[in-house]
Amino acid sequence: MSNFREAQNQAHPNKTNTLMLALIMILILNVSIQVWLLYTALNNALEKNTDIAFPSFIASSILFLIGFGWLYFLPSGPRVTK
Amino acid sequence: MATDKKDNHWKEDFPVYQLESTQVSRRDFAKFLCLVSGGLAVGSGYVAIKANFFPPDKIVGEHFVCKKHELPVGGTRSFVINGSTIPYILIRMENDEFRAYEQKCTHLSCAVFYKPGSGKIECPCHNGLFDAFTGEVLAGPPPRPLPRLTVVIKGEEVYVKDFKPDNDKPDPNRQSRS
Repeated sequence: MSNFREAQNQAHPNKTNTLMLALIMILILNVSIQVWLLYTALNNALEKNTDIAFPSFIASSILFLIGFGWLYFLPSGPRVTK
Repeated sequence: MATDKKDNHWKEDFPVYQLESTQVSRRDFAKFLCLVSGGLAVGSGYVAIKANFFPPDKIVGEHFVCKKHELPVGGTRSFVINGSTIPYILIRMENDEFRAYEQKCTHLSCAVFYKPGSGKIECPCHNGLFDAFTGEVLAGPPPRPLPRLTVVIKGEEVYVKDFKPDNDKPDPNRQSRS
């Protein structure tokens, strides 16, 4: 019985590069947005503008969950047979 | 018992190739990015909880600092408030007004000092300058004004209390610089 990952590897054996690059670029983009959110939330909290802190946390968590979900689509690469 | 045959059973327990253990694969890099992402989300949560549920303690009441004559014009005196470790400075300006600020620069917490006669407070670490009358940033990297205390003069004695913008001059809403 095959799962999505195996089927994908069989159907598109030479697309792992593209997939991997896209995944990593999106993860880097997510992390960049999260850094900006944390920086803004911290700066505003120190200026006693605390209203931005929770929306920033929620946005950051959603970005993390998106990134975590992306890992499912990570190409597994060639299987090493012993 | 020595044998000529090499025993390779240990490889079954550690099925990782040397090449794999020394190189970071793109899979590992993507997973690491996800870990960093989780760390940033946790950090944002910490900031949100700390800012909303555990705000910094406010200064309650008035606290005696020194007698008026103990501080010459243009002079400064550092002090701490009982029950707190935050260092403050009291400044006697050239026009005989008193000002009190937190002594930690808002950039990287270096100790700031008053430049007599200039009306400016300087941070020596990265040449940040603050207005000694208001605490506002004049130049350099500090992102926020110096936290300020209200100075109360009672006869010859100088007291400080929590700063409220209405106590002295109305303070316009500060714009975020982030």
